Amino acid sequence: MKWKNMRKIKYIALTIGLILFLSEVSLSQVVKNKLILGLGYYNNNNRLQYLKANTKAKLNGKFQQVAGIHLSFYITVEDPANLLGRAVTNEKGVANLFIPPSAKSVWNKSPKQTFLVVSEATKEYDGVHSNFDLTKSRIQIDTLPDRKITATFSELRDSAWIPVKGVDMKVTVKRLGGDLNVSETPTYTTDSLGVVNADFKLDKLPGDSIGNLVIIAEVDDNDIYGNLTTERSVPWGESSKYVSTFNQRSLFARRGWSPLWLEWIAYSIIAAVWGVLFYLFLQIRKLKRLGAGYVAGKSE
Amino acid sequence: MLTRQKIIEDLLPKKFGWKGKVWVIVLLIFCVIGLVAYILQLSKGLVVTSMRDYASWGIYISNFVFFVAISLVGSLITAVLRLTNVRWSTPLTRIAEIIAVSAITFASIIIVVDMGRPERFYNLFTHGRLQSPIVWDVIVITTYFFISLLLLYLPLLADFNIMLQIKKSTGNRLNKLYSYLGSFWKNKPEQIKINNRSIQILSITIIPVAFAIHTVTSWLFATTYRPGWDSTNFGAYFIAGAFLVGSGAVLVAMYIFRRAYKLDKYITTDHFDRMGKIVVMLALVYLYFNVNEFLAPAFKMKKTEEGYLLGLFTGDYSKVFWFALSTAIFIPILILVNKKGRRPLPAFIAGCLVVIGSWFKRYLIVTPTLLNPLLPMRDVPDSYRHYFPSWQEWAIAMGSLAGMMLIITIFARLLPIIPIQETIDEMEEHEKD
Repeated sequence: MKWKNMRKIKYIALTIGLILFLSEVSLSQVVKNKLILGLGYYNNNNRLQYLKANTKAKLNGKFQQVAGIHLSFYITVEDPANLLGRAVTNEKGVANLFIPPSAKSVWNKSPKQTFLVVSEATKEYDGVHSNFDLTKSRIQIDTLPDRKITATFSELRDSAWIPVKGVDMKVTVKRLGGDLNVSETPTYTTDSLGVVNADFKLDKLPGDSIGNLVIIAEVDDNDIYGNLTTERSVPWGESSKYVSTFNQRSLFARRGWSPLWLEWIAYSIIAAVWGVLFYLFLQIRKLKRLGAGYVAGKSE
Repeated sequence: MLTRQKIIEDLLPKKFGWKGKVWVIVLLIFCVIGLVAYILQLSKGLVVTSMRDYASWGIYISNFVFFVAISLVGSLITAVLRLTNVRWSTPLTRIAEIIAVSAITFASIIIVVDMGRPERFYNLFTHGRLQSPIVWDVIVITTYFFISLLLLYLPLLADFNIMLQIKKSTGNRLNKLYSYLGSFWKNKPEQIKINNRSIQILSITIIPVAFAIHTVTSWLFATTYRPGWDSTNFGAYFIAGAFLVGSGAVLVAMYIFRRAYKLDKYITTDHFDRMGKIVVMLALVYLYFNVNEFLAPAFKMKKTEEGYLLGLFTGDYSKVFWFALSTAIFIPILILVNKKGRRPLPAFIAGCLVVIGSWFKRYLIVTPTLLNPLLPMRDVPDSYRHYFPSWQEWAIAMGSLAGMMLIITIFARLLPIIPIQETIDEMEEHEKD
């Protein structure tokens, strides 16, 4: 009987072990999600250059940004010698990398460059690549009388800057929280000289303390040139000086601004309560005096 | 039948047995660990805590609000019930006042602990502006502390006289202390008259001050424009919660003192029954204010409050939120609404749940709001986006809670935990009737 029981236990143990092993194997073979990796090139004011990668994946039936993906950025080819740097995507699925000065010699070799980004494989995602083929370009911005703006777009060919026709460009003025178009035309296209002309039609726009505004010419998300912006300061705004009204609108902001009657009420309440406490301390003194030399049962 | 002699014998402070001694040692150990952690914090700065730019208030401030809340019970039991001629509460008045004094003492201490530069505390007095809610809090806490101390002291005078008579024959070492505090009390009719009037004045004064102390504490939050704190309901919400946690603490203390000092004849099942009913009523009132506090904002679900509210209801804080509401309100109501639930042991359990749940409720008032600012958190390390107290914070917080309980324990060792003279007076009145 005992032997039969032992065999039964053995079979049960083996079955459980097999189930656990198979479930472990099946768990380890979970289908990975497909990671979509994008790469963009950014050049601000013909100076600051950086790469921006973004990650997306289809989760629960809709595309969502993926945070925490480790990315490596390269120039020209995916090779440790050409590594520009590494970054991790934030909660918006975005990772930025400023192109380091160490890449200058490779950058200067050719008017066209290729940037690559490679993601590390994780439990949920396989490693993926993305690249951006860039033609070096620049925007020059200038102003003419009567508040006219000209912006010239050119690309680098054999160490010469050649104007480019047919590139879409925006001309805006920098505001807090976003850029404002300088006229009704949202987008301009460069002519055969690579030039766009825009009229600045915004009157009485508040500028800085001396009325300066910052106008911007920009190319957005271009497949060949990436994202470029150029800025220029112009004295076309209204001078504005910030006047704080905080002290007027806040009852308690500053001693001098709180109404006297309110302060008196507050001080009176405190004085009244502490007056009561002081009175009670005096009562304790009175109790002590009454008790001094008193003998129970004898009248004083 | 209780005689005067029997009452005095029963109610005199007693030496601790081994359980009492172990209890004191455990509390002392917690206090010492807390003190060591505080010294570490003083020497290295607030960086040893988990508080950062966003969660700049953590469990220290939660503890502060908790202490202030629990101290309010002094005004409820001693003042409100005394003024309304509720005689059954007499055995509970001293317990309530001891809790109040201990709690308000540690409320003052923990607020200094939260300061990065405590040596600058005096600036509050030298440069304080009456327009600042912090100054209101300093004023009102100081006032409440003295009123509570007086309300503890004045009813004790008659008891000092009794203890001095007994101790003279026993030669007790505490004699000197009692003599210093109350040897002038001779039971003279004028003394009794002045004392009764003073207690009456204190009972009236403490009610608005008690309301002020917790309203002002709520205004520390409500005068700032932040999701969750920007509420006109906050004063009443805080006071309702404070009365609840204080009454829960009294239930706990009643049970422990009744067991430890064998006070079954004085703290009867009837006291638990009545206190249980009060706790149910207060829990329902607090539930009402909670509904006010969360239903209207959740109905509107303004974009700025969405993260905070969803974090509480279903997000990161939901477990703590529902745990706190269940333990502080729902389960105690379910226990205490039945007559059987208002027997000493279940009432004690309900009291413990109220106190524990209320502590977590204070934590939820303070921290989730700070981690849901109106402007999004940007360019900060990941650790700034979350808050979990460091071991130093836990040690100091636990040390302060142990400190409060230690003061209550010391009071219980030195003073009669139930007013002797008032019990005798009530017994004699009862006999006359």
